[in-house]
Amino acid sequence: MNVILAIKQYISKMIEDSGPGMKVLLMDKDTTSIVSMVYAQSEILQKEVYLFERLDSAGRETMKHLKCIAFVRPTKENVELLAQELRMSKYGLYYIYFSNVISKQDVKVLAEADDQEVVREVQEFFGDYVAVSPHLFTLNINGCCQGLNWSTDSLARSTQGLTSVLLSLKKCPMIRYQNSSETARRLAESVRQTINKEAALFEFRKTDVAPILLILDRRDDAVTPILNQWTYQAMVHELIGIANSRINLSNVPGISKELQEVVLSPEHDEFYANNMYSNFGEIGNNIKDLMDEFQTKSKSHEKIESISDMKQFLEQYPQFKKMSGTVSKHVTVVGELSRLTNKHHLLEVSELEQDIVCQGDHSAILQRIKTLIASEKIQHIDMLRLVMLYALRYESHSNNDVSGLVDALRKRGVSDRLRMMVHAVLDYGGKKSRGSDLFGNQDIVSLTKKFFKGVKGVENVYTQHKPLLYSLLDQLIKGKLKEGAYPYLGVSQLKDRPQDIIVFVIGGTTFEEALAIHTLNRSSPGIRIIIGGTTVHNFKSFLDEVAQAIQGQSSSNVGPRYHRR
Amino acid sequence: MATSSEVREGFLCPMCMKDLGTVSMLQDHFEEEHSNEDKDVLQQLRGLFGKAKKKILGEKENHDYVDQSDSVTDTYSANLTKTGYDSSLWDPQEIGMIRSHTDVFKATRGARVDRFVVETNKLIIRLDKLTGSNSPTDTGKRKAFEKSVVPWMPDKYVQTCPDCTRNFSLTRRRHHCRLCGGIMCDKCSHFLPHTFAKKLTNPAFQTEMEVGFLKRTGSNSSLNSLMSPEGEAHIRTCNNCRKLLERRDQQIQQRNVKPPIVIMYENLQSYVENAQMLLKEFIPMVESLSCGESTYNMYTAQQYRNKILKMYESIDSVSKRIWVYETNADPLPPATQLKMQKNIRTMATSFMQDNMIGLQALPSEEHYKKLQEARKIEIQQRIADERQAAAEAQEKERKQQEQRETTIKHQIHPSNRDSDQPAKTQKKSGWIPEETSIRYSDKDDPMVQQMNIIRGYIKQARQAEKYDEVKMLEQNLKDLQQEYLKQQRQNWS
Repeated sequence: MNVILAIKQYISKMIEDSGPGMKVLLMDKDTTSIVSMVYAQSEILQKEVYLFERLDSAGRETMKHLKCIAFVRPTKENVELLAQELRMSKYGLYYIYFSNVISKQDVKVLAEADDQEVVREVQEFFGDYVAVSPHLFTLNINGCCQGLNWSTDSLARSTQGLTSVLLSLKKCPMIRYQNSSETARRLAESVRQTINKEAALFEFRKTDVAPILLILDRRDDAVTPILNQWTYQAMVHELIGIANSRINLSNVPGISKELQEVVLSPEHDEFYANNMYSNFGEIGNNIKDLMDEFQTKSKSHEKIESISDMKQFLEQYPQFKKMSGTVSKHVTVVGELSRLTNKHHLLEVSELEQDIVCQGDHSAILQRIKTLIASEKIQHIDMLRLVMLYALRYESHSNNDVSGLVDALRKRGVSDRLRMMVHAVLDYGGKKSRGSDLFGNQDIVSLTKKFFKGVKGVENVYTQHKPLLYSLLDQLIKGKLKEGAYPYLGVSQLKDRPQDIIVFVIGGTTFEEALAIHTLNRSSPGIRIIIGGTTVHNFKSFLDEVAQAIQGQSSSNVGPRYHRR
Repeated sequence: MATSSEVREGFLCPMCMKDLGTVSMLQDHFEEEHSNEDKDVLQQLRGLFGKAKKKILGEKENHDYVDQSDSVTDTYSANLTKTGYDSSLWDPQEIGMIRSHTDVFKATRGARVDRFVVETNKLIIRLDKLTGSNSPTDTGKRKAFEKSVVPWMPDKYVQTCPDCTRNFSLTRRRHHCRLCGGIMCDKCSHFLPHTFAKKLTNPAFQTEMEVGFLKRTGSNSSLNSLMSPEGEAHIRTCNNCRKLLERRDQQIQQRNVKPPIVIMYENLQSYVENAQMLLKEFIPMVESLSCGESTYNMYTAQQYRNKILKMYESIDSVSKRIWVYETNADPLPPATQLKMQKNIRTMATSFMQDNMIGLQALPSEEHYKKLQEARKIEIQQRIADERQAAAEAQEKERKQQEQRETTIKHQIHPSNRDSDQPAKTQKKSGWIPEETSIRYSDKDDPMVQQMNIIRGYIKQARQAEKYDEVKMLEQNLKDLQQEYLKQQRQNWS
């Protein structure tokens, strides 16, 4: 159950199958990201692949002495482009791999185009998703819903992506879905349909305990993607943004040219692999350790106290800089994170965010939000976070003052578009659309737990929040996940403790949730969980997701609720 | 504790019998000193103390002992601090589902392509007959002969040229394609020289003298000579037949001709493979030698190193040549071509960086001697230490051992006293180890002796360049060493 490995194995099999000789890898937009997430260019060069081309790029050169490995999604356009390609073949031999099921009809179209007999293989390799970590995958769909229901394309793509995950891991699961969500039910049924239709593909050796596919809806937990994050990976995504393992640092003041775009991949970066789940404080220490080590090595006696000292240190040692590209990269990234944190007073914001979701005192919270919004120092987007969290948390509180806060936002000059989002998020993930008790952590039992914890040691105030997903999976593992809220699709049910669990979040997952899954994997021996989503969100992308989901919502359908406020 | 008769009490370490005084001190001591030795014992010890503590002291579990049984929220925050990405969490897994459509594809393609193939083959056979040795050279007879091979289409059926659709007339005469018998005008005719025909009809001829022939095809099959009705003997064909024949020619060409860059690249790959093989042999050599071991011969290692360095040079120069290939040509080759050449060079340099630039230097002759000395002393020291530590405990077993020693020695090498036999001549079957050239002291443990013998064998095998046997012997040696250590430990505990 390692999705990175699954894709890697597919790619290396493709390359091996084509035998020795110079090769070109022909891909489409999607498969390019799929491949680039698991293989570094240097790694793939060692496998004799020397060119990477896009199937849809016009005017590619003819190079008959190359073997062409074509790895594309089985879309109509791709089949057409491939047929054209074969009619005027540019490379010596073709090995064609589709990332998902392709129809017999399409195979015939290609065969009829291959007059020059250049095709050696036509196969289906089910790597139709982007693997981010061993336990995390995404489909890179931005805005999967419209009018609070699936857009047709997204449903089809999600079904394809999810079934390809199952096929690449050789799992034929029992499906459970979130009962409160229409989208979850539809996806579950669609996946089931594909499994039935392609029954021959899903005939694997029977394992003792059937795997579980749990389909959830982001709308059940709209809080997690709103919060500021403090673990390395999540923080980078929140403040800078990770797209296909790449981050864009060109906005960082005084950035050198080679660091404008850097890659953060646990596969190829040991420091990142070790620290992607560490919190911000620890990373600072670890980087300092690393720097100290280098410093002693280069016999420098300068003191490194602050991050800016570190930067200076690096600049003074160009050869060192070359050697330790990784270190300078992380120093830059962490430096930027700490700059943003200070500039926008994120610690203060985050503490309040955490208190909103995890503490109970309404009037005190409201007062603190008002004070913080009134102060000049925090960003509009962080004000919006606070108000959105408040709106979700105290949606049905009798003294709820959402309109007052929205008004305060207006006074601070927050744009209409952003202010709209407060109501949008209530439509998206408000009480009516939730099936679970999102803020249920605040009952008596958990309060006493907190009390005991307080005796043991101070809990980190910035990481109080645990995503809903964590408790859902904990219940699932213990066999306590409620049938009514998360029914099985079909009649068969799992009697034993589950072993392999695949979670899919419609509307996108987050790195905080990925971390929760990582923690569960570590703490529950014998259980392997992977998580995926239509995308991996940060706050900004989540706002777009919500905006799109709300848009196009037919007024007759949910009109009254929408206009109530 | 077979030897000590007294019964001791206290917080004794089960490994070294030290009295540590308190539970936690014992545990610390055990973790520090013996943690590598026996994980199980440690676990047991921990469990034991954990339980005892709870029972006896009624003490709550110290937070060190918190484990999965605790509530979920606790582990959540506890685990947060652990390092992130752990590949050991993930079992090896087999490759995912694969489905092949190649058969369907080939069947469909076959049905379609057959049409071309059958047609082309027919043309080739006719071509062979027309240009064959028994075709008449006399123009009159030749026409009849051509008509007998390929029936010509009657003139009356065709009023316009099928290619240019112009009417035939006195000035625009009808011409027949000699291969299909079809009709076209003179302008739409193509001319196939006999040499090109020969190339198409006789693939065997081609493979035999590939080089000479290939050079000539360049000009023969070029458009000009095909079109030109002058010069050497030629055959009139229609456009359609020309296309089919040219398609065939291209296929053959592609199968048999390698552009220079491919040849260079294949050289490069063979060097890389060669270097990889050499490295696989060399690395254990250099590691062993720089520890002062005498398993490998210094001279052979040096030779290996030189060979590898030579490969390195070849890789460097060939990849450089690929890199700059045609970069001065006019016009420049396409950008993708250059990009690919650069990527090949990148591959080669990174291969060299990974494997060769850091190629460990062998210790110098003197340094090696020093290393050997150091190692000897170290080994002796270690043995002495072990001996001393175990002295009392071993006293009894010593005698038994010595007894065993002599018997075993006799069993293993009955002839070990006849010194310096001349080296046995190598038989066809290969190399046979000599026992005689190994010296060892009588005092050594039989295991140590055995190990020395194997070391000697390895040396010999290496001289005889029997590397697979070296590998096998090394495995034996390793097993023996482990066994020996185990025995030693048992002896003095």
